[in-house]
Amino acid sequence: MMERDTKIKILLIEDDPVITEFLRTGLKYEGYDVVSFDNGIQGLDSLNRNEFDLVILDIVLPDIDGFEICRRIRAMGQEVPILMLTVKKEISDRVKGLDSGADDYLTKPFSFEELVARIRALLRRSGRIGQGKMLNAAGVVLDPSTRHVRIHGRNIELTPTEFGLLELFMRHPYRVFTRETLLNRVLGYDFDGGTNVIDVHISHLRKKLGDRPARLIRTVYGVGYSFQPGDDAT
Amino acid sequence: MKAVLGLSLKARLSLLYAVLLILSVVIVGFCSYWNVWQLFINNKSAHLRARAKPIIAHWLTDYGLVSVEHPASKLTSETAAILARDLTSKQSSAIILDNTGKIIAKGKRLPEEPDAPPPELGQFKKAMSGENEVTYFANLNGTSLLVMLIPLRPRPGSPKVFGVVQLSTGLREINRMLFRHGAMLMAIVALILILGTVAGYWLIGMSLRDLQGLVKTCNAISSGDFSKRVSVNTTQGEIGRLATSFNQMISQLESIFASQQRFVANAAHELLTPLTGLKGCVEVLLRGAQDDPATTSRLLKAMYREVNRLIRLCEQLLGISRLEGSSHVHRQDVVVSEFFADFMPQARLLANDDRLVLRQGPYARISVDPDLLKQVLFNLLSNALRHSPDDTPIEITWRLLPDFVEIQVRDHGEGMDATTLSHVFEPFYKGRSHTCSYKRSGLGLSLAKSMINAHGGTIKVESAPGKGTIVSFTIPLSSN
Ligand SMILES: Nc1ncnc2c1ncn2[C@@H]1O[C@H](COP(=O)(O)OP(=O)(O)O)[C@@H](O)[C@H]1O
Repeated sequence: MMERDTKIKILLIEDDPVITEFLRTGLKYEGYDVVSFDNGIQGLDSLNRNEFDLVILDIVLPDIDGFEICRRIRAMGQEVPILMLTVKKEISDRVKGLDSGADDYLTKPFSFEELVARIRALLRRSGRIGQGKMLNAAGVVLDPSTRHVRIHGRNIELTPTEFGLLELFMRHPYRVFTRETLLNRVLGYDFDGGTNVIDVHISHLRKKLGDRPARLIRTVYGVGYSFQPGDDAT
Repeated sequence: MKAVLGLSLKARLSLLYAVLLILSVVIVGFCSYWNVWQLFINNKSAHLRARAKPIIAHWLTDYGLVSVEHPASKLTSETAAILARDLTSKQSSAIILDNTGKIIAKGKRLPEEPDAPPPELGQFKKAMSGENEVTYFANLNGTSLLVMLIPLRPRPGSPKVFGVVQLSTGLREINRMLFRHGAMLMAIVALILILGTVAGYWLIGMSLRDLQGLVKTCNAISSGDFSKRVSVNTTQGEIGRLATSFNQMISQLESIFASQQRFVANAAHELLTPLTGLKGCVEVLLRGAQDDPATTSRLLKAMYREVNRLIRLCEQLLGISRLEGSSHVHRQDVVVSEFFADFMPQARLLANDDRLVLRQGPYARISVDPDLLKQVLFNLLSNALRHSPDDTPIEITWRLLPDFVEIQVRDHGEGMDATTLSHVFEPFYKGRSHTCSYKRSGLGLSLAKSMINAHGGTIKVESAPGKGTIVSFTIPLSSN
């Protein structure tokens, strides 16, 4: 698993402590390695000395602004993809951002999910993760772009919820997800209903995967579920 | 009256104009008519008198009436008849009255000569009492006559009047001429009225056209288009001036409106940053971070700080909008030194050390809302603390100006460049600074300015990069 073997390193330059806090926590949770600075000078310095896969950059910073940092990064000859964050809605800012060498641009307040999707797209575009990469584990092959799932070469049909669950499991093998988290991430944050909905979907998914003894998707008693491909001897 | 008030301005003005025109033309016409008539009458009587005088003088000498003791006794009907005859012509006729008013001779002989009207006693008495120019009008068989009485005296200037000559002449000719004159006047009046009304209507329409333009523009503006302006041909005249000041007013409104919009947009932007933090924290928690108690607690604390920041921001915004009307300023008389005695311990809590230096100024009583003054000083002090190194002092002092006290807060910190300096009082403006921008809202100085202005004072900032900053503001002295 790429996410497990070589961790993607992200440099975050943002002066708002709360935004920094949730980005660090959230991105780490998504499996990224995050290094953060609250000013441009230190950020650039760190970029000079370390290898990063992606830079997330706020435009408004106490010392040098985001556009200038962008320009300096490009002047250093770094190809690293840059994602800019700004509050301003103006198109001119976007143009300026892209002109100064940024690759993408997000307006505050953005949704974290959107941010993760953009990060993934940027990483793919720059070749830091495989193009349209198939998730493959324990004989299950999942294609996130075409949404096809094959098990031992045989196509199976999944509902969107089941597909979402399986994709999440395969992206984060061995991680234990609570029912609450699965519910939030697969059915949305504003889904009102009990967590046993998840149990129903999991049981359907197991049936379709032929995972009768529940070896692939394990129940962690009192907590939730976890995907365990390595234990399967296939 | 109501019907007139209901008319359009143009119709009302035109009506008023026409009425005035008619009135003035009629008055002018009447005066002119009367003058001409007077002139004719005067002429006529002068003419009569001029003709009569030498005849009477000759007659007096011819008949020995000059310088006699009792001239009345010499006035016989024979002598009188001669005089009457001499004075009578085709245009005028004469009769002679003795000193009792009796007719003693009549001049009319030929049928074409006009009849003489009978004498009037009142007028006769006037002439007898020595009045020289008795003229009056009389009516005889439907023709109006001018009658003139000439007293007979033995010599000019003598007080003795022994008889009266009554000369009368027909006014037909004068009346005919007057009629012609009147007709001409009427024609001219009618012409002036017609031309005047037409021209007036046109002129009023012309000058009201700008006004109508004004109305059209007003309508456009009231439907929300602030870019419209009244086109003015001249800046002269009432309407030109009205249009000019109207345009100025609209420009003012437009800029106020724009700054309001800017303010709202800025406020929304300012709220977006903390909201981004909140939203992100919630999302990350929901996506699974909540499963780890340590992370959950960290994120919750961050959210708590963020919510507080939002509340502070909203309070500042409310503060600014509240101060727009100064009804929230509760002034009282305050002695400056007593105020600071109360304020400094609180400020020292904020500064947390001995950096604050208060330099006492002269005794002064000011009229101020002490709570607002405290807020202003807190804002200035937190700016000063934020933008200067920990080991430099921050000085507060005051001095007396005419009608005002000037209070000064001075730091020895990083200072500001000219661009920052020119914008510091704009809401949400954050200058370049080494302090993280999230700690600042850009409202501190705008709020201070609103508060000071609500007291009728002024505030100014002097600063240069590396040279520190001096903020000084004035508060009016109390009036009693
Ligand atoms: N004492 C000071 N020294 C240097 N810069 C200052 C000082 N006070 C204010 N400024 C500058 O002016 C800007 C506007 O100040 P202010 O309106 O008080 O808002 P803020 O809440 O951001 O301090 C600040 O962001 C800062 O750049």
